[in-house]
Amino acid sequence: MGFYLLSYLCIFVFILATAYRIYRQITLPIHVRWELYPVQHETAARAAYGGSYLEEVNWWEKTHKRSLFNELRYMLPEILFIRGLWKENRSLWRISFPFHFGLYLMIATSGLLVVHALVILGSDYPAAPGGTIKSLLDGLIVVTGWTGLVLGNIGSLGLLSKRWTEPELRNYSSFSDYFNILFIFLFFVSALAAAVFTDPLLVGAKAYAFGLLTGGLPLNGYAPGQSIAGGVAIVSASLLAAYIPLTHMSHMFMKYFLYHKVKWDDAQNRRGGRIEAAIMENLELKPTWRANHVDADGRKSWRDIASSAPKEK
Amino acid sequence: MNNQMKPSNLSKPSDCLCHIEPGELSPLPAPYEDFNQVTIPPLNPEKVKHLETSLDDTIAIGIPKPANKEEEEALVLRFLSGLKKLFEKENNWTFLQPLMLSMEHCAKCQTCSNACPVYEMSGRKDIYRPMFRAEVLRRIYKKYLKPGGKITAKLTGDIDLNWTTIARLAELSYRCTLCRRCATVCPIGVDNGLITHEIRKLFSQEMGIAPKELHDKGTVQHLRVGSSTGMNPLAAKDSVEFIQEEMEEITGYKVEIPWDVEGADILLIHNAGEMLAWPENVGAFATIFQAAGLSWTLSSEAVGYDAVNYGLWYDDVQFSRVAVRHADIARRLKVKKIVMGECGHAHKALTVIADRLLTGDLNLPRESAMVTLEEIVRSGKLQFDPLRNDFPVTLHDPCNMVRSMGIVEPQRRILRKIAPGFREMTPHGVENYCCGGGSGFAIMSGYNFAQWRNLVGSRKKFLQILNAFEGEPREAPKYVCAPCSNCKGAIRDIINYYHAEERSRLYYGGLVELIVNAMVDMKKPMIRFGDEPSWRS
Repeated sequence: MGFYLLSYLCIFVFILATAYRIYRQITLPIHVRWELYPVQHETAARAAYGGSYLEEVNWWEKTHKRSLFNELRYMLPEILFIRGLWKENRSLWRISFPFHFGLYLMIATSGLLVVHALVILGSDYPAAPGGTIKSLLDGLIVVTGWTGLVLGNIGSLGLLSKRWTEPELRNYSSFSDYFNILFIFLFFVSALAAAVFTDPLLVGAKAYAFGLLTGGLPLNGYAPGQSIAGGVAIVSASLLAAYIPLTHMSHMFMKYFLYHKVKWDDAQNRRGGRIEAAIMENLELKPTWRANHVDADGRKSWRDIASSAPKEK
Repeated sequence: MNNQMKPSNLSKPSDCLCHIEPGELSPLPAPYEDFNQVTIPPLNPEKVKHLETSLDDTIAIGIPKPANKEEEEALVLRFLSGLKKLFEKENNWTFLQPLMLSMEHCAKCQTCSNACPVYEMSGRKDIYRPMFRAEVLRRIYKKYLKPGGKITAKLTGDIDLNWTTIARLAELSYRCTLCRRCATVCPIGVDNGLITHEIRKLFSQEMGIAPKELHDKGTVQHLRVGSSTGMNPLAAKDSVEFIQEEMEEITGYKVEIPWDVEGADILLIHNAGEMLAWPENVGAFATIFQAAGLSWTLSSEAVGYDAVNYGLWYDDVQFSRVAVRHADIARRLKVKKIVMGECGHAHKALTVIADRLLTGDLNLPRESAMVTLEEIVRSGKLQFDPLRNDFPVTLHDPCNMVRSMGIVEPQRRILRKIAPGFREMTPHGVENYCCGGGSGFAIMSGYNFAQWRNLVGSRKKFLQILNAFEGEPREAPKYVCAPCSNCKGAIRDIINYYHAEERSRLYYGGLVELIVNAMVDMKKPMIRFGDEPSWRS
């Protein structure tokens, strides 16, 4: 039961930390525009060369055409295959891609394991269900699981080696940078060892996911931690889930804000609109910058200061 | 000298943290090989003996050395107080979210370094990496402002905070042109250019430290006198009167430049530097607008005749003051829209950044001159003879106008129509390289900073220009079209510094000069290559 308790606790931390990160972002004040082109929700013709609606005469009189399709067409290869790194830093991509894709496949495998457990629960448990869906899930779990583990091991070892051996990475790396990769590697290598030596069809993983959903009910007599490698894999995966949102590795999901709330945020401020209302709130904030020319005293607002002359010379 | 550097080295006192030896800069091709052994001339020890000079071979700010330890400590505390304010919404609502995201998610993959022309051209000196100064700030922030930071710093990256760290960091924030090419290539979306911008702000808004060209002679003079050039309204009107006369002399076409026309369709705002350094640009705009029959005006009110907003590069407060003045002048003139002249940073400042500052009736429509000009050229109101521009032309993309605003094609469509010898640089558009004059560098030339800019900052652009004209005969005049005043200033300087007019017959100018040069109504050519007219009248 200790394994399950640890997993529950880690999932709880993951949810809490992720929610906090997202909450913090969505409650920040609106910032000035700082977009960078190409902005991929532009029309396909413009996004191809990095153009914007500002290229149109009297652009404020026109409806800004946005293309979700175009955005998705860009984002999917970016997320799945790390296209930006392929283009700009090919040698790093060769190891970063297997690393990230390995992680994605692990996430996908986790999802499949949960579906698998739900299918069992939906049948006459404890009788083992059969049928096409079950067979399909069994096959998919083995394919995604094994592929993810192999890629993840290659990627994390490659990243570790590159960071350690290349001065331009090593000179900027701290203990935590190595620790993070080693931590992920520990999961990948232990899970692969468990699969290779004791559980090639990932029966244990399926049973563990079932146990997680049922408060520890055993499936086919399974008990977590029957092999050392399997136990380490469960513990490291659980701890990783809790750890990732606490670190810069949260870029896995925070990239949404980096792209959509900054890099591609080209939303116009229209009179009487939501953005204008938010700006007006910001202009009432009272800065305390101390340089003479700012002339802030904690009582004057941004609006007061912006409409005054600098206090010097 | 050790070429490899860690962020923690910034705090270790030495006379010069990074020196460029002869031959270390990226090589230039023939006939410029004689510059390959040239390096930045040493600072005059007498002139800088009271200034902080320990970063590299130049200084941009000229920070006075503190008189004693107590002063040093007070400055360190003030720096920390400013750093804290960068993360408070009351003080930094303008950039809080972008800053937090970029501070927290860098994977230190160095992809940004390969995109940076300063880093590449310097001979790959570590201190010029985009993430070097960003990483210094991240470490200081985590160690000195996060709870338990002094303990966790051993795990997440340590750095000492002392006066040396701070003085060098201030200078280092002026070795980046804020071109944001690094941010374009970051797979995560981290913007180390933004962090540089925020470092500059911290120093200016909290400590009153900024290059005098940007602050005292820049925004302060702009708001006090009317223009960062020092021209008051009367001088501006005199200059324009002179331009009117000159234009008729140059082209044989009489032009009237309107002032303060209430209710005009367009308020055109130039970078006032054009009036002094490139008056033909102001004259060319007037010629085109008049010939096209537009309803337009200039403003003779202080600040209203100078589109620059140097606050964009170092100080949100000064930025806001200038932007509000620009908008207020247009509001009172009751114009339908503001059109930004050929000035990249002014484009971005008033059109994009100020979009989240101006509210109510200050939020007037703003348009790029590239767009207005394209509309005129395509309208058929003007007749062109492209053969008048029958010489090699390449286009420089101002970062602020192109990468930061997405105004890419209008200027190209114009060139394709009026300049048969137009060819692109490689790369171009949103992937362009900065001219080296970005973020104020074009107007900063104290001490030996201009040499650093010409040798390091603008070197990539110079190589790009040479490459664009590869295969053209040396004796053929070649035109670099740079629709931005600061870019033109930087390109003028590299042409002069490398004697490129003599060696490669390189000339430069704006877009409007090319348009007027091709107008059939002009009796004489607008563009001349030295003494040689670009076409025979």
